[in-house]
Amino acid sequence: MILEAISLGLSTGTYCTMNCAPVLIPFLSGTDKVSYKRNSGLIGAFLGGRLVMYFILGAVFAAIGLLVNEFIDPVLTRRLSVYAYFFCGIALLINSLGLKFPWGCNKDCGCKVPKLRRLGNDWVTAILSGLAVGLHVCPPLWTAMLRSVFGGHGLVGFFYFIFFYIGTLPFFIPLFGIPFIAKRAGSIKRIARVTQFCVSIYFMIFLGLIPMIFE
Amino acid sequence: MISSLILSAMMAFIVLFFVVLMHNFAPAAILYALFLMFLFIRMTFAENKKMGSGVIYRRIFQTVFAVGFCIAFIADLIAERGSMSITSEAMSNSELPFCHIAIPQVLVPLLVTKNIIFPARISGHYASVASMILIWLVCTLTVGRGWCSWICFYGGWEEGFSHVAKKPRIKLLPKNKELREFHFGFMFFIILASLCELACIYCEWFCPFKLVTEFSPVNSIPSLIATIMFVGLFIGLVIVLPILTKKRTQCSSLCPFGAFASLTDRFSIFQMKIDSDKCSGCMKCASICPFSAIDIKTIQEKKGHPEITCAKCGECVSVCPNKAISYEFRFNMKKSSCSCGHHKNPPKTAAVRVFQQLLHPANLFRFAAFSFAVIMSSDFMIKSLNLIAGLFGGRK
Repeated sequence: MILEAISLGLSTGTYCTMNCAPVLIPFLSGTDKVSYKRNSGLIGAFLGGRLVMYFILGAVFAAIGLLVNEFIDPVLTRRLSVYAYFFCGIALLINSLGLKFPWGCNKDCGCKVPKLRRLGNDWVTAILSGLAVGLHVCPPLWTAMLRSVFGGHGLVGFFYFIFFYIGTLPFFIPLFGIPFIAKRAGSIKRIARVTQFCVSIYFMIFLGLIPMIFE
Repeated sequence: MISSLILSAMMAFIVLFFVVLMHNFAPAAILYALFLMFLFIRMTFAENKKMGSGVIYRRIFQTVFAVGFCIAFIADLIAERGSMSITSEAMSNSELPFCHIAIPQVLVPLLVTKNIIFPARISGHYASVASMILIWLVCTLTVGRGWCSWICFYGGWEEGFSHVAKKPRIKLLPKNKELREFHFGFMFFIILASLCELACIYCEWFCPFKLVTEFSPVNSIPSLIATIMFVGLFIGLVIVLPILTKKRTQCSSLCPFGAFASLTDRFSIFQMKIDSDKCSGCMKCASICPFSAIDIKTIQEKKGHPEITCAKCGECVSVCPNKAISYEFRFNMKKSSCSCGHHKNPPKTAAVRVFQQLLHPANLFRFAAFSFAVIMSSDFMIKSLNLIAGLFGGRK
């Protein structure tokens, strides 16, 4: 069972990475304090947030009886994805504004919006964006949820899902090397912030608001 | 003089083969061949006389090519589909012409998913993916980002508009660094978003050249928003800002291929060199650079070469009063980037001098870039000349 769960995660992890890469790469490269320890912590916070959202989704789907269907509902997943992009875009935007704008820079600068600083905190952003990205429900995730719920025993299901999740993690290993690149050139940090800002606007407006309102 | 004649003769051979022979001595082909030869001969002899003075012929070529390309391309689309808009049939059959700007968006998803995310044929079709990637590879190894300033069939629009006004109304020089950072940041955004969505995001939302090529039909509010963006970006970045700034603003701030070509330019054999011994720091080069590739810092810190976004257009060579900027082979670039009292031995015989002139990086670069431009432009230009002749009642 462990092997099956890990294999399922390993075989589909690239798709998880494709959803997470636009969020994590610019965010981790553009943080103010670059260190391996902090970088690993932020990745951990993001992945933790994502796992928590998977558990929430699993519990909600099971409670409302959606997990009796073997096949995933494309309309539901599309709607969830739209919300995922929208909330993730907001988290990234607040973070990039908090880093960029002077009123978020330090405690003594006479901040008019000091809360923005706290909202845009790297750790909060990592958790919030992890939670938001967790709303993307892909077919392998649905399969893992089904197998977890119908595994026969609650604890077995829980571990099945955990091992599935662990199977997706090797694809995130390259992200631990980001400080190695970010430390070398200061311009990388600034470029990453531009990228993060563009990604946040794109997520919020083009993948969030426009489909939410007009589709 | 002799080296210019030899170069012109070699170019005549290329023009004869790729323009005249390949198009069966069609009148339009002969006319276009004469135009190309006029430009090249004038450019070569002008450069021979005064370094950098041939740059105007590059401008003329690129502007004419951009307009001619669009005429031929739109005519092709109308002949094939009945309109400029993308049909669902063309999408589902993967028959959209693949454009070089899409290359950076396609490469990363290709590595991850082993699929081409652009709805175009891999090979055996008009502007297929394989042919465009092959052109890009050859271009990267030879002229590098020189593609943008010599060959790109979109860049000519900005090239033309950036020379409409005599003086810039907005000076971008102090913001060059920020502009470059935005350019790279935007490129990484496009790559990451394309990977996330498995679609060419730039083509779907941000390409200003949709206005002069093909576009999605406006049949929903999202497509209307996209069209408004295409029109706005074209008017803003391709017409208004180039006129106001005298810079190629779309090429140096938005085009993902431009940023990508800047990164891969290190594989090109040519590079621009700034001789810090000769440089007086007048900043004329920085002011004129259409790609924002020379900063005040570039000169002050005596870097010896322009910044990474240099497109080797040669505009800086033409304005430098001390002739401190020149084309150079990358493998010949010295770290100190000054002449440092080192001077080449003068050639002993006339034959050696001619040979040295022929192998001069400036001559070789111009020859390579112009040959590339001839090959890329011939089909489109001849088609558009025929169309224009047809409009005026001439023979098709």
